[in-house]
Amino acid sequence: MKFLPARQALILAAFALLPGVGQAIYFHDKISWQSPIPRSELVSVDQARAWGENVTWVDARTDQDFARDHVRGALSLNEDRWNELLPQFLAGWSPGKKVVVYCSAESCDLAREVAERLRKEAQIPDVFVLEGGWEAWVKKNR
Amino acid sequence: MGEEEQMNQTPNVESPGNAASFVVRRSAFDVRRILWRILDFIVAAIFIYAGVLKMLDPAQFAHDINNYRILPWTLSVALAFYLPWLEILCGLGLIFRFLYRGALSILTVLIVVFTLATIAAKVRGLDITCGCFGHASQHWSLPAHLATNLGILAALLVLFFLGTARRKAVL
Repeated sequence: MKFLPARQALILAAFALLPGVGQAIYFHDKISWQSPIPRSELVSVDQARAWGENVTWVDARTDQDFARDHVRGALSLNEDRWNELLPQFLAGWSPGKKVVVYCSAESCDLAREVAERLRKEAQIPDVFVLEGGWEAWVKKNR
Repeated sequence: MGEEEQMNQTPNVESPGNAASFVVRRSAFDVRRILWRILDFIVAAIFIYAGVLKMLDPAQFAHDINNYRILPWTLSVALAFYLPWLEILCGLGLIFRFLYRGALSILTVLIVVFTLATIAAKVRGLDITCGCFGHASQHWSLPAHLATNLGILAALLVLFFLGTARRKAVL
């Protein structure tokens, strides 16, 4: 039986659906289909500022970006130098304080990754990602 | 024409010159066949490796797709569950020559789409993580990323147009 490439491709595409659907069912409670960061893990600039002194700001951008400018009092903690920066962060953080992580903009993923690692590896409970990141902060503070 | 005379006129491999030429052509063909198979295996290994890495962490892959800001989140999640398996199946198709040309077609389309999406993201100034090979490719520069994709695309096209042509000639 001779199969054309297009027909073969369709068969393969259909076959791939089976394990894909199976995995989606298996992971149904581990990943949100509604939004990349659950609403409960996001915080707006206004809300974060309203928390006042009860916040530790974390800058997840690169060292160069951090050196250029950052939220006043923020601690740098990025994945490039995670092992080096984490102890510094832990020294500056006190239990009970909320942690707000930001990266460059809405499109970057660094803040989410750093927030996730802080929850998982450092066992810090109240970690939030700043909506809109540094861009949103700059807009609100002009 | 008698049978003996006819045999004398028909070229056959038993004459010393023809036999030598046949052996040379045959061994050259075998070498080419081995080279095509090696290329099959290399391309398949790349896609299976990439597929397995992404399949093991679909949440991360969904975020990697989402970073391109082309698709809505829900579709990114759906693709994160689907694409790795498609890559793995197509890779296996290349190794076992099962639905071979279909597998090559899908992988070619995938690599073209990935490349265009990467270029579009860079043009739009997005801070993206490629995610193609898990965290190994996290800090790839655009030229490294493009060079890898173009190399894979070239291999796929070679296999599609020359590798399959060789098979047809054999059959």
